[in-house]
Formats: sequence, C-alpha cells, structure tokens
Amino acid sequence: MTARKRTSSAVTNPENPPPATKEHKPTVASGEDFRLAPPKLGVIFVISSLLCSLYLYLLCFHYNVDDELKRPILINAGLSLVGFFVTLKLIPVAARYVLRRNMFGFDINKRGTPQGEVKVPESLGIVVGIVFLIVAIIFQFFNFTEDSLWLVEYNAALASICFMILLGFVDDVLDVPWRVKLLLPSFATLPLLMAYAGHTTIVIPKPLVSYVGLKILDLGRIYKLYMALLAVFCTNSINIHAGLNGLEIGQTVVIAAAILIHNVMQIGASVDSELRQAHAFSIYLTQPLMATSLAMLAFNWYPSAVFVGDTYTVFAGMTMAVVGILGHFSETLLIFFLPQVLNFLLSLPQLAGIVKCPRHRLPKFDPATGLLTGTKDGTLVNVYLRIFGRKSEKSLCIHLLVFQALACAFCFLLRHFLAGWYK
Amino acid sequence: MTARKRTSSVAKSENPPPATKEHKPTVASGEDFSLAPPKLGVIFVISSLLCSLYIYLLCFHYNVDDELKRPILINAGLSLVGFFVTLKLIPVAARYVLRRNMFGFDINKRGTPQGEVKVPESLGIVVGIVFLIVAIIFQFFNFTEDSLWLVEYNAALASICFMILLGFVDDVLDVPWRVKLLLPSFATLPLLMAYAGHTTIVIPKPLVSYVGLEILDLGRIYKLYMALLAVFCTNSINIHAGLNGLEIGQTVVIAAAILIHNVMQIGASVDSELRQAHAFSIYLTQPLMATSLAMLAFNWYPSAVFVGDTYTVFAGMTMAVVGILGHFSETLLIFFLPQVLNFLLSLPQLAGIVKCPRHRLPKFDPATGLLTGTRDGTLVNVYLRIFGRKSEKSLCIHLLVFQALACAFCFLLRHFLAGWYK
Repeated sequence: MTARKRTSSAVTNPENPPPATKEHKPTVASGEDFRLAPPKLGVIFVISSLLCSLYLYLLCFHYNVDDELKRPILINAGLSLVGFFVTLKLIPVAARYVLRRNMFGFDINKRGTPQGEVKVPESLGIVVGIVFLIVAIIFQFFNFTEDSLWLVEYNAALASICFMILLGFVDDVLDVPWRVKLLLPSFATLPLLMAYAGHTTIVIPKPLVSYVGLKILDLGRIYKLYMALLAVFCTNSINIHAGLNGLEIGQTVVIAAAILIHNVMQIGASVDSELRQAHAFSIYLTQPLMATSLAMLAFNWYPSAVFVGDTYTVFAGMTMAVVGILGHFSETLLIFFLPQVLNFLLSLPQLAGIVKCPRHRLPKFDPATGLLTGTKDGTLVNVYLRIFGRKSEKSLCIHLLVFQALACAFCFLLRHFLAGWYK
Repeated sequence: MTARKRTSSVAKSENPPPATKEHKPTVASGEDFSLAPPKLGVIFVISSLLCSLYIYLLCFHYNVDDELKRPILINAGLSLVGFFVTLKLIPVAARYVLRRNMFGFDINKRGTPQGEVKVPESLGIVVGIVFLIVAIIFQFFNFTEDSLWLVEYNAALASICFMILLGFVDDVLDVPWRVKLLLPSFATLPLLMAYAGHTTIVIPKPLVSYVGLEILDLGRIYKLYMALLAVFCTNSINIHAGLNGLEIGQTVVIAAAILIHNVMQIGASVDSELRQAHAFSIYLTQPLMATSLAMLAFNWYPSAVFVGDTYTVFAGMTMAVVGILGHFSETLLIFFLPQVLNFLLSLPQLAGIVKCPRHRLPKFDPATGLLTGTRDGTLVNVYLRIFGRKSEKSLCIHLLVFQALACAFCFLLRHFLAGWYK
C-alpha cells in the first residue's frame, strides 16, 4: 500500500509566476496564504523522552564506553540534533513548494469531517532524506577513527540510501507501477553488497548442530542474496503497515530506539574491537534517522499536517536494513520487525491475488463517532481492530506503537535467554 | 538559466487511482500519447564522429595492458547496454512525466504549430538512473579493485546520486536559484572526504623563479578549488542552454575529449597510479556518453523531450567528479572553455548590473524560422550577432563544432607547453 491518502491531483492551478533569476516569489494555489499547522512539539518531547532515555542512560552512565568511541558518537548525536531543528524549520517551507506542485492528498480517515477536505502536502519525506544525507555526509569529517574499510562501507551506505531516496521520490512524483516498486530496492542495495566485506557465515544454533553436522555454515553468495532480500523486505514492509496518522514515522522511531539500545549494549558488553566498530557504525546512521524522523513526526502526528510519502517509508526501511547489514545484527533487526513480518504474512493472500485486494485496505471510518472499525482486509491494523474493538485513529496508532515496542522488548528478552543455549 | 522552456504546469487531468495490481495509466486529455521516434541516424553520425578516434587510440594505437583494457571494454559493453535501456525507457517515462504535468513549450518554435506541442520535461532522470545502475553493476566486474579504489568509486557514486536527487527535486519543486547555487557544494562533500590524492600543484617552469617553489601544497585550498569546480561545472552547462540538443551535445563532445585525453595518458604513461586514475575516469565517462547519446536521439532538433535541470547538473557533476578523481581538473577546465566564456559573458546580468530577463534566448522569427541574437550576454546570442542569423539546428551544430574546436585547442596547448610548462 503506497501513500494511502493520495487522491488524484486534479486541481486547476494559476500559472506559476516565471521565476526571475533574482528573487523567487512563489504564489500559492488559489491565492490564499498557506499556513502549516504548528508542530506538535509537546508530543515529540514525550515520545523522545520515552524512546531515548534508556539509550542515553546506557551510553553515558551504565556502560564504560571508550572515549575513543564515545566522542564520535556524541558528536554524531550533536549533528543529529542540529538535523532535528533544520528539518523542523524546512518542512513548512517545503510544504508550500510541494502544494504548489499539486502533490497533496486528502486524509481518508477523516472523510466526512471538515478535516477531510483539507489538502495535505505529500512526500515531505524528501526533506527528511536530504537533511539525513547532509548530516551523514558532514559527520565523515568528524570521525577520527576512519580507515579505508570504514570509508568504503560508509560511502557505500550513503550511496545506497541516497539511491533509495531518489527512487522513492521518483515514485512519489511519477507513481511507478508496483512491480517496479518491488524491484527498485534491489538496485539500491547493490553498492552495499559490493562493499560488504564481512563474514558470510551463520552460526548454527547449538541444538541443531548434530543434525546439520557443522557449527558454522558459510553461505557465501546466498548470504548476499539474503541481504538484498532483507533490504527489499524492510523498505516495503513499512510501506504496507501504514494508513494511520503518525504510524509510519512512529514505527520507525520505535525500531530505531531499539536499534540504538541494542548497539550500545553490544558495545558495552563486548571486547571485540571489530564488533564495537560495527555497532558504532550503526549508531552513526541511526541517530540522524531518529532525529530527522522525530522532527517530521512533529508535523505528521495526529492530526497529520503533512504526509510522508513513499519517499520516507523506503528511506527509513533502507536505512535500517543498511545498519542491520553493516552492523552485523540483521537477525536481531528482523525480530524488531516482528509486527511488520506479521502484517506481511497477513497481507500475503491479498498481495498474491488469492483474495480480492482493494485500492486501500484501511479500516472503516465513522464520521459520527470518529471511531475506526476493522474490515476483513488482511492487515495488522484491521486485525487489531477486530480483536480489540473500535478505536479512534490516535488511540489505535498509540496501541500499535506500544505493540511495536513490546515486540522489540520481547526480542531483547529472547536474546537474553537464548544467549547461552542458542550460540 | 534553468529549463528554459518550462511554462506553468497548468493541471487539467486527474491521475487515475493506481490499483495495487495492474497499473493502467490513462493519458492526459484521453488521447494516445506517442513520442516521436528517436533520431537514430543523427546519433549514429554523432557517435561515429566522437568515438572513432577514441576507439582507435584505445584498441590499436596504444598498447594498453590487458589488465586495464579488459575492465575498460567490459565497461564499454555495459555502457552499450545502458544506451539501449535508456532508448527503451525514455518513451515510457515520458508518458508518466506528462501525466504528472511536467512539460514545457518550445519557446524557439513559438508561432509555429510545433510551439503548441507539450514537450515532456526532466527526462534527465532516466539518464541518471540508468547511469547509476550501470556504474553500480560495473563494480562487480572490476577485478583490480582495492580499498582505495572502492572508497573513491563509492564516494563518486554517492556524490553523483545526491546531485541527481537534488536536480530532480529542483525540477519538481522549482527551488530558488540561490539554493540551486549552493546544492552542488553539498553533493561534492562525499568526494572531498574520499579524495586521498595530492593537493599540490606544479608551478609552471617560467614562474618558479618568482614563486620560489617548484611544487606548492595547497592543502585545504585545493579542496575548496575542487568544490568550486563542481559548482561551476554543474551550473555552467545549465546556463549554456536553450537550443534543442545543446545541453546533451556539449556534454558528449566534452565527454569524447575526456575519453581521448584519458586513453592518451594511459598509453603514454608508465606511472601505474596515473593510469589507474585515468581508467577510473573512463569507467564513469563511458556510461555518461552512452546514456546521453540515447537521450540525444530524442532531444536532437526538433526536441521530443526536454532534459531538465536533472540532466544538466548530473552531467556537470559527473564530469567534475572524473576531473577531480582522475587528477586532470585543469585540462577539464580548458575543455570547458565555451562554458567559461559563456559564464563571463553572463556575469553582468547574473550579478544584476545589467537587467536580466527570465529567458535570455535569441529572438525567433516564425516566418523565416531563423534566430536573431539579442543583447543578452550569452554565447548563443553573441555568436548570432557575430555570424548572423541562423536556424536553430544550424546554430546548435555551429556551437558544438566550436566546443570540439576548444577541446582540440586544449590538446594542442598541452602538446606545445609540455616541455615548457611542466
């Protein structure tokens, strides 16, 4: 499911004034002054505190992290904070340009209410993507522990993520067929696969060693195929677990928080320098992802003032796949993605065409009560509603984000208990 | 001057809601949209003119190591595939782009029936994406890879990709020109980080006595120079535009010159590092050439598609990248002589000293079909004022020949100054 709330952009638009080479004065559609609703900073403050406090505590107080590693991490955090404010400032500006180009949608989950008539600017994920790239690029200047291998992986990561943002934005603008959309992440992963110089072995779980006959299995090229599929999965799965205000960014920041906590735990508990570098690498890309996403969430939280577009969902998915691959914790990442996996499995019958698949698989909105009711579509959103009853959109989104957080917590528990038994 | 022929995108039609399964696009105004067939004959002539000397030098004249020749030929093969893929994709993309109301009217045909046709814009995105895919896939075939090479290559890809992204965002959202000036600087950053080469310049022999040094280490100023070079290359192609086929035309002429320069340096040099640097440049310039020629088949007079800022900034950035990483940026600047000239002529208007209109195109007379130079400070107009009125196609050919002559002049200059200069 793509940007679920986009309708046709059938608007007559007064002529764009020919931009002079000097001053550029945009006029807005219909001649009225366009004003974006103010960012919901209070909500963001609460969400940030909930998500980041444990991570910051672990990083700065609980674990004794080497100064050599801690300094770049804190510098990166500082740059990410700057990225947060830059994104916050840029989104209202970009929203005006985007609306002028008739890239907007109507909020389907508010149809029948006055809010449902508002033109919501689409594809603001491009702002997040560009600020993320600039922060990530600038950070290279501050990382003192750079070596050739690190630079290769970092630049390959940047190339992959940048290519994905490009393809996502092209999709948002031109609306490419869904089959092409499935294929695109594979191309974007190629720089990554080339640069991946890590092991392609997997450790056989202890209980299965007797059956398999090996302790370590070298998958070679199949591992690279697995990496490519992981990227395709991550980018698309966030896309289809969507449809509620704030759900796309919300699930991303919850998983990002889990990633950061996992990274810092591995750094703190490990003596293997290579492993610590790998997890630090993941932090260097996840902190900017978190910060820029939270800035957009300030505008996207219920009720959404902007929509994120495919640009954001594929960017977020690709970034998380990249850190999972280069940080060597892709199996852990998959368990963080448990709700997305669930949603994908539920969606399979409709995606495969066995069951009829409508344009939007959103729950049914009742303007009178303001509540959503689950339909028979195979999505986590609908199934959740059918199990737990009707909910308002905001409440349902919060429920699903808590569910996401519980899945991540479950992963940590699983790792803890299986640690000795599994590997 | 940006995509000079864009007018307001007055939206008329509804986008059909895409089904999750089969995507059946309907076209604006309900008529079947069909792109004019590619002008393959013209492309064949242009390709032969540009590539024959290069291929002769590469395969017959110089005795290039097999170890270097094989990746170059593989890259050439991939670029050829890229050529055909681009050829196939442009008509498809043109339909999507038109559906999104990204089109312009050909100002140099205003008053004739051709001037009423909606020409799809920003098709440079197709060239950019195919280029990136070819460049990415090529990594799998380069056997002489090492860490340093991979860093530079990935940094190059990141820079070029970021530039394509910014160019396409500009085409879609129409960002203010001041932002447009700044953007290439951000896109160059991955490159500047990865640049592990020397930051020294060789002082020309006649000046050594004045400077007191034979080699001067510029350090950070060299990196600043690299960033400015990128900003210049991306913007200068943009403002030397306005005629059908001029943007792509100047790019492929310079690209041919780059390739010839690269192969000459490889053939004449024993320094392995230098040869690697020039091979690196070939690996990115061949795909640029091939994909650009494919789009030129549609963009040559009369243009069936427009390239958009996406193409001009992509081409400029790619050439700046190969010039920087191939260590021949001064040579590149001399290839860019017409662009430098155009920039200098444009300065008064860009700086605001002289009034600067939206378009600085020559005046088109529908009756005769000829263009007359105005008083604007562009190479196009100055050329017309010196050499008299011309048709658009003829003027474009003249300017491309001028570009080729400038490149040839550069080779002559290098030849004669070789002993005297360095």
